Amino acid sequence: MDLLQLGSYTFSSRLIIGTGKFSSATVMLQAVRASGAQLVTVALRRFNREQAEDDLFGPLSAIEGVTLMPNTSGASTAAEAVRAAHIARELSGSPFIKVEIHPNPQHLMPDPIETFEAARILAKEGFLVMPYITADPVLAKRLEEVGCAAVMPLGSAIGSGQGLATAAMIELIIRESSIPVIVDAGLRSPSEAAHAMEMGCEAVLVNSAVAVAGNPPEMAEAFAEAVAAGRKAFRAGLMQKSGSAIATSPLTAFLGANG
Amino acid sequence: MSQMITIELNGQKQPLPTGSAVSDLLSIIGSDGKSVAVLVNQQIIRPENRSARILQEGDEVELLIFAGGG
Repeated sequence: MDLLQLGSYTFSSRLIIGTGKFSSATVMLQAVRASGAQLVTVALRRFNREQAEDDLFGPLSAIEGVTLMPNTSGASTAAEAVRAAHIARELSGSPFIKVEIHPNPQHLMPDPIETFEAARILAKEGFLVMPYITADPVLAKRLEEVGCAAVMPLGSAIGSGQGLATAAMIELIIRESSIPVIVDAGLRSPSEAAHAMEMGCEAVLVNSAVAVAGNPPEMAEAFAEAVAAGRKAFRAGLMQKSGSAIATSPLTAFLGANG
Repeated sequence: MSQMITIELNGQKQPLPTGSAVSDLLSIIGSDGKSVAVLVNQQIIRPENRSARILQEGDEVELLIFAGGG
């Protein structure tokens, strides 16, 4: 069976779902179920007794087969991310941590230096570290060397829906990488997710594209199908591109044309 | 009425009866504590230690949950 392997964990689904920006917890839970995702991201927030619906631990844990992957969103330094990871592990009981350190709210680009430092520390502590990074093959390799479980380069800016703007760089990362490469951020349509999988990504992480779709559960299902199709195509082996036409039908011996 | 102390709960002042433990604070605010991470003065207080950890005047308590995020 074709499984996604992250550390000692295996998953049959290659679609990872984020839980932010949904219109309600009910819709979010429907979308998570529809996606078939087995890894689901959550964020740490202060408890607010007036907003009990915000607490997603119980309802998400109740979905069979779901493992939580908390993120360190809100951290702007490695030290803050490490601290968030410790708190998150306390709550989730899961070794997965998405290291996400983006100090600038204007573009939300990940800080490579702080991300590397946090990833290095957390991997040493035994976390399954999933760093959200710019599509940089050198950084990706360095993160692999310090023991990350995967690297998660961005397709484009978080929530931008600009798709796989970094496709060429992600291809370089895939070529060099011995750990799973997972596109995280920027995807808008299932066809982009399929494209990422056809390139050889091991999984994709989608949030906004599902959360703000007209019908989030339907879109979650569409992404799941696209990811599965893209993966199947990758495994089947895509044909080589050619600069010129190569006929699929015989061009000779046509009804006496050579007569 | 018992004497009161004031702690800081998620950045807001919160009065509490003297001698309250972390577990008492959780029941006062209506949390079962299962899906809440508790930090007192930046130290994580694990569930098994919450009834033994007595809060003091001025303690800074942070309660964190999992909310939606990508």
